[in-house]
Amino acid sequence: MSGLPVADRATVRRATRGLIARDRRAVVVVLALHAAATVAGLAPPWLLGTIVDRVSAGAGVATVDRLALAIGGAVLVQTLLSRYAQYAGHRFGERAVARLREEFVERTLNLPVGVVERAGSGDLATRSSVDVATVGLTVRDVVPIIVIASVQLVLLFGAVFLLHPLLGLVALAGLPTIALVTRWYLRRAGPAYLAEGAVAAELTETLTSTAEGARTVEALRLADERIGHGTARIARVWAARRKTLALRTVFFSVVEASHPLPVAALLLVGGLLLARDEVTLGAVVAAALYLQQAIDPLDRMLMWTEQAQRGFASFARVLGVGQVPPEPPGRAAAPTDERLVVRGARFAYAGGADVLHGVDLDVRPGERLALVGPSGAGKSTLARLLAGIDVPREGVVSVGGCPVTDLDPAERRRRIALVTQEHHVFIGSLRDNLAFAAPDASDDRMHDALATVGADWHARLPEGLDTLLGDGAHQLGAAEAQQLALARLVLADPHTLILDEATAALDPTTARRTERALAALLTGRTVIAIAHRLNTAHDADRVAVLEGGRITELGSHDDLLRAGGPYAALWRSWHP
Amino acid sequence: MPPRIPHAEPGTPDLRGPLWYLWWLVRCQPWRVLRGSLIGTAWMTGLSVRPYLISRAVDDGLRTGDTRALALWVAAIVVAGMGLSYLGTMRHRTMTFIREDAKARSAAVVLRQLSRVGAVLPRRAATGEVATVGGTDIDRAAHALTLTGPGVGAVVAYLVIAVVLWSISPLLALCVVVGVPSVGLVVAPLLRRLEQAESVYRQQQGELTARSGDIVAGLRVLAGVGGRGLFARRYAARSRDLLVEGYRVGAANSWIDAATVAVPGLFLAAVVWLSARMAVTGDISVGELVAVYGYVATLVVPVWFLLEGGHQLIRGRVAARRIVALLAVTPDDVGGPRTTPARLGAATVPGTRQPPGPAAPGAAPLGPAAPGAAPFNSASPVAAPLGPADLHDPSSGLTVRAGRLTVVAAAEPADAVALADRLGRYTVSDATWGGVPLADVGLDEVRARVLVADHDAYLFAGTLREVLRGARADVDHRRVDAALHAASAEDVVDALPDGLDTPLDTRARSLSGGQRQRVRLARALLAEPEVLILVEPTSAVDAHTEARIAERLRRARAGRTTVVLTTSPLLLGRADVVAHLAAGRVVATGAHAELLDRDPGYRRLVARGDADAEQALR
Repeated sequence: MSGLPVADRATVRRATRGLIARDRRAVVVVLALHAAATVAGLAPPWLLGTIVDRVSAGAGVATVDRLALAIGGAVLVQTLLSRYAQYAGHRFGERAVARLREEFVERTLNLPVGVVERAGSGDLATRSSVDVATVGLTVRDVVPIIVIASVQLVLLFGAVFLLHPLLGLVALAGLPTIALVTRWYLRRAGPAYLAEGAVAAELTETLTSTAEGARTVEALRLADERIGHGTARIARVWAARRKTLALRTVFFSVVEASHPLPVAALLLVGGLLLARDEVTLGAVVAAALYLQQAIDPLDRMLMWTEQAQRGFASFARVLGVGQVPPEPPGRAAAPTDERLVVRGARFAYAGGADVLHGVDLDVRPGERLALVGPSGAGKSTLARLLAGIDVPREGVVSVGGCPVTDLDPAERRRRIALVTQEHHVFIGSLRDNLAFAAPDASDDRMHDALATVGADWHARLPEGLDTLLGDGAHQLGAAEAQQLALARLVLADPHTLILDEATAALDPTTARRTERALAALLTGRTVIAIAHRLNTAHDADRVAVLEGGRITELGSHDDLLRAGGPYAALWRSWHP
Repeated sequence: MPPRIPHAEPGTPDLRGPLWYLWWLVRCQPWRVLRGSLIGTAWMTGLSVRPYLISRAVDDGLRTGDTRALALWVAAIVVAGMGLSYLGTMRHRTMTFIREDAKARSAAVVLRQLSRVGAVLPRRAATGEVATVGGTDIDRAAHALTLTGPGVGAVVAYLVIAVVLWSISPLLALCVVVGVPSVGLVVAPLLRRLEQAESVYRQQQGELTARSGDIVAGLRVLAGVGGRGLFARRYAARSRDLLVEGYRVGAANSWIDAATVAVPGLFLAAVVWLSARMAVTGDISVGELVAVYGYVATLVVPVWFLLEGGHQLIRGRVAARRIVALLAVTPDDVGGPRTTPARLGAATVPGTRQPPGPAAPGAAPLGPAAPGAAPFNSASPVAAPLGPADLHDPSSGLTVRAGRLTVVAAAEPADAVALADRLGRYTVSDATWGGVPLADVGLDEVRARVLVADHDAYLFAGTLREVLRGARADVDHRRVDAALHAASAEDVVDALPDGLDTPLDTRARSLSGGQRQRVRLARALLAEPEVLILVEPTSAVDAHTEARIAERLRRARAGRTTVVLTTSPLLLGRADVVAHLAAGRVVATGAHAELLDRDPGYRRLVARGDADAEQALR
């Protein structure tokens, strides 16, 4: 199993710069507004310092009134500026997030299906939910917080510098320890929080699956085993949480202990400067207040840096999906007819031994070919080669003289369809669930397609084709979902159908209903059916027996019975 | 003082209501909570020490030019800062311990409930609900406990600051004492609005995420049928809708955010104005003026904590309500005694047998009770047959002979499922076992001796070995191998990278349908029940494998009572006795070949696959 790629740091940096570059004006506006708002926020402590100076100098009530009014004014100006700064930042974030998620889905849809299967859909599902959301949160909420905090810090420390350069210098007294401990923390926090999230998810999964399998728990008397399993998960969650707590303990205590250092240093140096009349008392007071004020943005920035780091990691995984080369468009080959031919096909899954050892097979247009054989004989692999999903390692699979993998993927799907036991009902209306198979199909054609496969339930739906299906809406049963899948095929109208255990996952009643629906679909097409029930083989035009990656017998049911080989033996065990 | 997690014994939760439940979480750790309150209080009051010390440094040191006093107060600032850092860290640690203890305890009682309540659970609680409880509610309930630490501290700190302000100026103290809560009252509804606006957005965002997950899940379908462009366009359209909604939320939120800054800011300006006037008239000193500014700015912290704490309590209560509802689900009695108490609380130690408890009220059997059935609240179940005995199901007229392989071919699969449920007592059952009404035998004993192996029985995550062993961790590898052989599942093991030690995920999703079915069969065989009832055990395997399973199953269960519900001729051909079930009643019994000869209905049923297949291929 080879996972999906993860983008490297340079790519992520480039993509990040790209996000900014595509919306440069907005970024400039946001930064300017935040800077202005922060400057307005610097006024109250400075005004308080002024009040202190004036009162010490014996100023009257009128002066105080004016300065206090100015403080109120500064608050209002800051409020307005930061509101618009925040709004502009929010819009920028929303736009960036929307672009990111649309691009992600676009890339996902272009992934070759073989890549998705090898990587496991779990990885892709995590990227589409957790990682896209994490990047979204980071771009929309975390980056603005960090940007604002940085702007505030720069301006606050800048203001202290302006009051007196020496005061500005001592104001930095707390930063070295904070920088060191942050570095220490960030190196460890990312993996530790990821581990914590993973074990917490495992615990939830244990609880959920215990509930889902409640009947099995009772039948097999698994209660104690389940409790043991869950208790072990609780212990692992606790161990992971203790690790992150230990990291925070070190980080928080060093950062918090660093906060009083600059204030203390500033007061001492301020005292010296005051003695030499180089600063006013008000300036020292204002500088001390600025430093108090700096604690909040500093803490905020430190707290969110870890999240930003996580966002960076998720971004790398989101971008990684785009690094898979898309399905080759094909060489515009034009098949002359519908004849499927396999010549000397060998195939191995990544890194494994050959599953097929030189298979030769001619499928005649319009015939019914049954593929039988024990599990692991390579039946499904052969089906995938015939459908063009996988490419043979050696040999060739062609339709009408053209290698199937040379066809344009869309064109290929119009000709050859693989029907498996997997069926998926997409969130959306019934029409949405049919339309993608034939975008131009009229409502009548859709009704016809549903009727063809025996999906008479569609007539009883409250809103007909517009009825919403899926989670939280109208839920289809397994048989109905499979009928829907077959109706799509009626609309897509391929000339060749490959059936791989299309009804195996269904319970026997459902399977029977589905088989009836299938019958309607098969009329007039070439059919290759992987058969579990020998009855199916009995009625096929020809039967191919696949054993150990080779076709060992090929012929009509009667021929094979006469030949007295393994097929005949099996058949007799069925019909004593 | 870290808690001991996992709890050997999580205790019995108080299910009288959500707040009782939260209070129970507190009661389980009284000393830790007390410690949290004390440290929280000390830390919160400590926050106002720095403005005081700065004001003293300004007044006594800077203004008077007294270097010694300045150095003293500055040293105090540093020491106080270190102390505050220590207190802050200890507060965070203690509160984390309190929350983690609560989370682990909730998880433990929920886990015990889910494991013990049994087959009734899916009917009483949706899986989504359990996922919400496990994923969110347990955490939220625990977070409500934060109120016990900084929450208590916030109230105390608020009072302390009020007293200190009073010593400076009663008028100012009055302004602040009244003003700060009213600022809080103005801001609190704004915060709620903020969350409401966000929740609409989040819901739409969740729907969009669900759509992209939907596309990922259906990628193979799209690859098979096509239509990728359509999905990309549709997703983009939805994404644009969310973008517009996001702008709207952003506009509202930025105003609310601004207001939450402006209101306290303006209040602070008013206090400064008032105190500056006092400083002019000499009512307070300049240092005190600075201190007042600092105190009022500091007060923001406890007020925020209280607002946040109140909010957490509201959410925690909603979460606790769902937890309590889940814990209150009782196993419904399908007629008869259980040997475990009706409320499967957490008090039951794993492995111990509880004395039989009275059945829950309203649990009277719905069906006709067998004659001589024990009264319902009877504490003693009727003695089950000591050894292998015949099972009889009056509803269908089926008799299962002890020690034989009975294969039942049901015309309607639903009848087969209902039959299995009656024989296994998963429903109201009038079946008898060695002449004793099954409903009167202790449910524990029925479960221990009779196993109904469903065709879709659940597969839990774990290594293949763990999955197969189930409750029998002691089983040796020879038996495991034998069960795998009987289920013709050796190739499943061979195909896995680490064989039996390969971890499988929940529902064994990485295996094919046929492989899963054979793993289920091997697990059922390995459980070695006295009576094994298999429902459609081979519906997803190919004919070759099915033939092998039919042969080996017979040998593996030789001499033991086995019932197979299927219409597969391969399995029917290996039966000791075949029963043909039509319209819920046994219409014929005998050997497979015999029934094929004399029962046309049976012949049609067994060959019915043919009819459909014929249709399918013609």
